[in-house]
Amino acid sequence: MANNLGLVIEREYLERVKQKSFLISTILVPIIMIGIMVLPSLFLFLGKSETMKVWVVDNTGKIFNRLEGNDDIEFISASAPVDSLKANEDVGSILVIPATAIENPERGITLLSRESISMMSDEFVTSQLEKTIRDIRLESYDIPDLKEIIQKSNADVKLSTVRIQDGEDQETSSMASYFISLAVDMLLYMFIMIYGQMVMTSIVEEKTSKVLEVVVSSVRPFQLMMGKIAGVGLVAITQILIWAVLIGLATGLGAPILMGQLASDPEVPTEVMTGIGQFTDPVFLISLLINILLYFIGGFLFYSSMYAAVGSAVSNIQDASQLSTIATMPILISIMGSMAIINDPSGALAFWLSIIPFTSPMVMMARLPYGVPVWENILSLGLLYASFVGMIWVCAKIYRVGIFMNGKKPTLVEIIKWARYK
Amino acid sequence: MDNIITAEHITKQFTGHRALDDVSVSVPRGKVYGLLGPNGAGKTTLIRIINHITAPDSGIVTFNGHPLTQNDVSNIGYLPEERGLYKKMKVGDQAMFFARLKGLSRQEAGARLREWFERLEISDWWDKKVETLSKGMAQKVQFIVTVLHKPELLIFDEPFSGFDPINANILKREILRLRDEGATVIFSTHNMSSVEAICDDITLINRSHNILSGSVADIKEKFSNQAYRFTFDGNTDSIREIADRAGLIMTPGVPDRYGHSTVTIELGNADRREIISEFNNKTNLIAFEKLTPTFDDIFIRAVSESNYHDDEANNGKEEFSNGK
Repeated sequence: MANNLGLVIEREYLERVKQKSFLISTILVPIIMIGIMVLPSLFLFLGKSETMKVWVVDNTGKIFNRLEGNDDIEFISASAPVDSLKANEDVGSILVIPATAIENPERGITLLSRESISMMSDEFVTSQLEKTIRDIRLESYDIPDLKEIIQKSNADVKLSTVRIQDGEDQETSSMASYFISLAVDMLLYMFIMIYGQMVMTSIVEEKTSKVLEVVVSSVRPFQLMMGKIAGVGLVAITQILIWAVLIGLATGLGAPILMGQLASDPEVPTEVMTGIGQFTDPVFLISLLINILLYFIGGFLFYSSMYAAVGSAVSNIQDASQLSTIATMPILISIMGSMAIINDPSGALAFWLSIIPFTSPMVMMARLPYGVPVWENILSLGLLYASFVGMIWVCAKIYRVGIFMNGKKPTLVEIIKWARYK
Repeated sequence: MDNIITAEHITKQFTGHRALDDVSVSVPRGKVYGLLGPNGAGKTTLIRIINHITAPDSGIVTFNGHPLTQNDVSNIGYLPEERGLYKKMKVGDQAMFFARLKGLSRQEAGARLREWFERLEISDWWDKKVETLSKGMAQKVQFIVTVLHKPELLIFDEPFSGFDPINANILKREILRLRDEGATVIFSTHNMSSVEAICDDITLINRSHNILSGSVADIKEKFSNQAYRFTFDGNTDSIREIADRAGLIMTPGVPDRYGHSTVTIELGNADRREIISEFNNKTNLIAFEKLTPTFDDIFIRAVSESNYHDDEANNGKEEFSNGK
């Protein structure tokens, strides 16, 4: 009977991989992903074609000469009065600077435009005006080299965060930790939503096609559940490997462009790059990776078994989608929890959420980059995997009773009662 | 007698309804055993218990002399009433999957499957997806899957539903052939005409209770009540006189256009030879024959009698509680 588990896994895997829908989704998803990555920059590139011309009516006589345009905005000196400019169809935007602008810039400076003005243009014009007026004001104090003095006295602080551990201090980066946590959590969330529900559907399909009674007369429900989850898990791994290769190939070709773009943007990369660069301790890095893998697998197994329980309890797919909220709720709570604990990764909330199996995979994943005591780590993993096996056992019970319940949608109380049946 | 499986004092309770109440059955080895009863009587629940799909609340199931365990399931072939196969799987792959689940090796399963597919003339279906088959076709596949691993015990729940008469006959032939090869068959149905043709022994379950058990011949004998049909010259007066004197139940009869009357008389415990010779003396007896009841009759009689007793008992209870 032991190799029946293998047979169930084999069937579940082969039948899914052989489906046309598997092929289609495996090919379509990377195309869509690449589309999402490439399209915005493509639009940005296409949208950049025109320079916005701004006619400046400068009543102070001092500001216009100092305004500097860029690729998107060009400042033009206007000789005509405002009303005639307004009447001129060729004039797109008019910047009106009153004579009091230097003394009183808070009011009176107006940008008139025929089309709506983008936030970027608004910010650019404002910053140009602020800089110019500040310079003019500074010069009015008539102190030599004042501008240089102020520039020199500006301080640019970069804070290094260091975690004390075993006498050996380790540099960490909350920025990088945050990004890694978030990314891994989102991945796990998607993984569970797609493949966890696949387990549920697989069980319900057996009920609607009525093959289940033949199956349960040959396989123990426990083996059947295990086999389904493992089979779907293997499908997931296969699909993700194919995606990884496809996306790798695509970005391998597109990477130079992407990197070039990142490097030209001065703010984001320095933070991220230095952050990533700070994970230099190989021991920490390896334990982090192993942990991520363990929680990823554990999370998938545990949540799939929850979905399996839902599938076991209902007799059709409509009821299943309603009841699957039971499995989806803890996931959503986990995501909110992960966000919440990022402010306090070692607090009581973080501790409990990362120990309780319902929330532990995601919340622990969010905590890991900040460093977690070993005993907490082991306790949480142990509980997670033990609850997975326990959940499958409960599933098998529910499944056995669920066979007899045709048509009627069970309540949660009934399901719990079923789990206690002999 | 050598029983392959016995279920003793089985009780199974579901929320708000008792599916089986102290039911016992013993299935003799090498026989076809009919499990009969109206819809909802508890047949399928009993079968699921025998199959180890669900456990009874109380009572014990013994298989080949030891308490039934999960491992015995590979020695049982079960064709459930709710039939189904994986729709998207090919017929051959599917049959192979179930055969291997029952412990056959790939080679062994392949050889046996080819033999069965040929015998039921479905060899060219091997690569078809199940969803393209008709209901009857899918049932043939399912039948093969059930018997392929040559289990000692075969359980068929309503095997003929969905089959046309030709295929039903093929199936009947195969079931009897399997019995002759040594398998024991439990055969659940409410189609009584197939019972007489196939079953050696039966149990009749009604409202969660076992109300009738025994061999087909014994049960027929028991329910016949020694009913005889007599045909004789003239009217029924003289014969009714004899019947009334002996306290026998007799149907009314009038002479047909040849002047022959036909009546049915239940002889019960009366001395058959004496009564008949008396008839013979008083009338010109043309023919008489023993009537055997059909299983339809037996089924209806047994079920309605048991319902009547049930209801009477329940009414009694109600009156009692009302009186309080």
